[in-house]
Amino acid sequence: MIGHAASPATTPSVTAAPGARRHAVQPGVRLRRIGYQVLLYSGAFLLTFYCVVPLVWMFITALKPPNEVITWPPVVLPKEPTLRNFRLLFEESLILTFLRNSLVTAFASTVLSILLGTLAAYSLTRYNYWGRDKLATFILLGYMFPPIVLIIPFFVWFKAIGLTDNYLGLIITYVALGLPFATWLLWAFFQSIPMELEEAAWIDGATRAQAIVHVIFPLALPGVIATSIFTFIVAWNEYLFALILMNTDPMKTLPVGLADLLNRPMTDWGVIMAAGVVITLPALLFFILTQNYLIKGWGAGAVKG
Amino acid sequence: MSMSLRASSRALAAWPADVVVRVRASKDLAGVILVAPAILTLVALLAYPVVYNLWLGFHQKHALQQTATWVGLQNYAFFVFSDRQFWDSFWLGLVYAIVTVVAQLVMGVAAALLLNEDFKGRLIVRGIALFPYMIPITLSVIIWRWIFNNQYGIANYMLVSWGITDKPPIWLGPDWIFWTLIAVSVWTFFPFVLISILARLQTIPPELYDAAKVDGAGAVGRFLNITLPQIKTVLFIVILLRSVWMFTKFDIVWMWGGQSYGGLGEHVRILPMYTYHRIFGLFQAGEGAALANIMFFILLFAAYFYFKYFRQEETSV
Repeated sequence: MIGHAASPATTPSVTAAPGARRHAVQPGVRLRRIGYQVLLYSGAFLLTFYCVVPLVWMFITALKPPNEVITWPPVVLPKEPTLRNFRLLFEESLILTFLRNSLVTAFASTVLSILLGTLAAYSLTRYNYWGRDKLATFILLGYMFPPIVLIIPFFVWFKAIGLTDNYLGLIITYVALGLPFATWLLWAFFQSIPMELEEAAWIDGATRAQAIVHVIFPLALPGVIATSIFTFIVAWNEYLFALILMNTDPMKTLPVGLADLLNRPMTDWGVIMAAGVVITLPALLFFILTQNYLIKGWGAGAVKG
Repeated sequence: MSMSLRASSRALAAWPADVVVRVRASKDLAGVILVAPAILTLVALLAYPVVYNLWLGFHQKHALQQTATWVGLQNYAFFVFSDRQFWDSFWLGLVYAIVTVVAQLVMGVAAALLLNEDFKGRLIVRGIALFPYMIPITLSVIIWRWIFNNQYGIANYMLVSWGITDKPPIWLGPDWIFWTLIAVSVWTFFPFVLISILARLQTIPPELYDAAKVDGAGAVGRFLNITLPQIKTVLFIVILLRSVWMFTKFDIVWMWGGQSYGGLGEHVRILPMYTYHRIFGLFQAGEGAALANIMFFILLFAAYFYFKYFRQEETSV
């Protein structure tokens, strides 16, 4: 796991390992330490169980033939594992189209949000102008909007200018959803980069642009990556606007396409679970690789926010 | 670029993430130019809909037609004074938001405290504990609908085979659907609390705990006197965001049964569901806009009092 590359900013855990204590161990203390260990590991086990078992059940179901899926009592482990569900999924549904639509809209909206958000964050932390401090409240207001407030105007508006069933319409929507959040997080990151470093670069003869490229950018990069991941996830998982704005099958995104599978007259649970596996695998892999950025990025935003 | 500068930027990375650096900003037009695209985008995309919604709330308008008739405060008066469904949705939504937020907080903070301790496999468990939040909501709904399936669900099988009951409840039936919705919502969103709190816990200097131990403070005392004050600011923001988001939650509720207006949908019809059905079911765009505005004002109002009474000094919002 990438977590080993943790920056020194993520201080190691609060309680040192029991063995690290120098004092002689008394029996009562030792008993308490064993109790602590038992508590710790059973807690970790329960948490893992709670979070992972539903996903394991999805994987197992995806590998079962129909007669082992729809049966009582349930068959826990597949007796005759099969790839039938995956074959049917790729033959009968537009899963790859949905995947492409999701990737295009999520990627484009993330790039746009991060671009605008980074410029704004740099400006908000490095320049002084009228109303700068009020912008924090303004951006927070962006959090307050129930998505449902946006849906009527967006629907009417996009319908009028032909942006329904169109990548651009959904991308614009996801910028609206992602930008306040992205600006907020990036702002917190840029605040933690001291002005002195930039000034030192200027004294060394660097121009403002050079200072940004060589000093600010490398320091801001982890924050930019963390923010990108979160912005991407918001768009990747979004359901409501994709449902309203993308009406024809070839334009639907993964969350909507997946929900459509569930709403078919004869629900084929095996195929649905196979779709779940197809969606989850790349996401989980990506996620495990970037987990460290996620936790750090969240911290910066939350601490400052 | 000089070596000393590289060294100092490396040294900077070693600073705790919460070091707040006072920025000496310079007066410059360039700053306004840099911030303008983001602000203009937000104004265009967010301010326009709000203004349009306010306008629409005073009108009667069919969702798919262009003409709108001015009706003044009639939409608002109707919901507030004579529509029982509105109040039912409001109260159900309030229960949904409060129960899910409290459960998420308890589980999220407990899990964060656990994952901040030192044990073998901690990093793996940390990764796993974030899964529920990272998979699409559609997928978590689908998985749990399968687990809670009335006929073939593994949840009922476990209840029966472990001898807990002979007649397992119908999880997705009228009696239980609201409570299973809450369970699924908590499963899906508690990692948000976990990740926020854990990130903050990691920045608490260990010396604080060592000092408390020397003073003889127990685990509970250390939590109350050190951990809690340190995570207070984050908790403030997390509670605010989660409450707003749970009160306006659409997708998970919609897919858990909210898409039908009557029948099962009635048992999970919180305000966003009701708004949707008014607009796209009954085609009353004006009424829907009024409902959306009511929700927005409730949130602004609640946020105002929340800030007034609970805001911490160090919160820079």
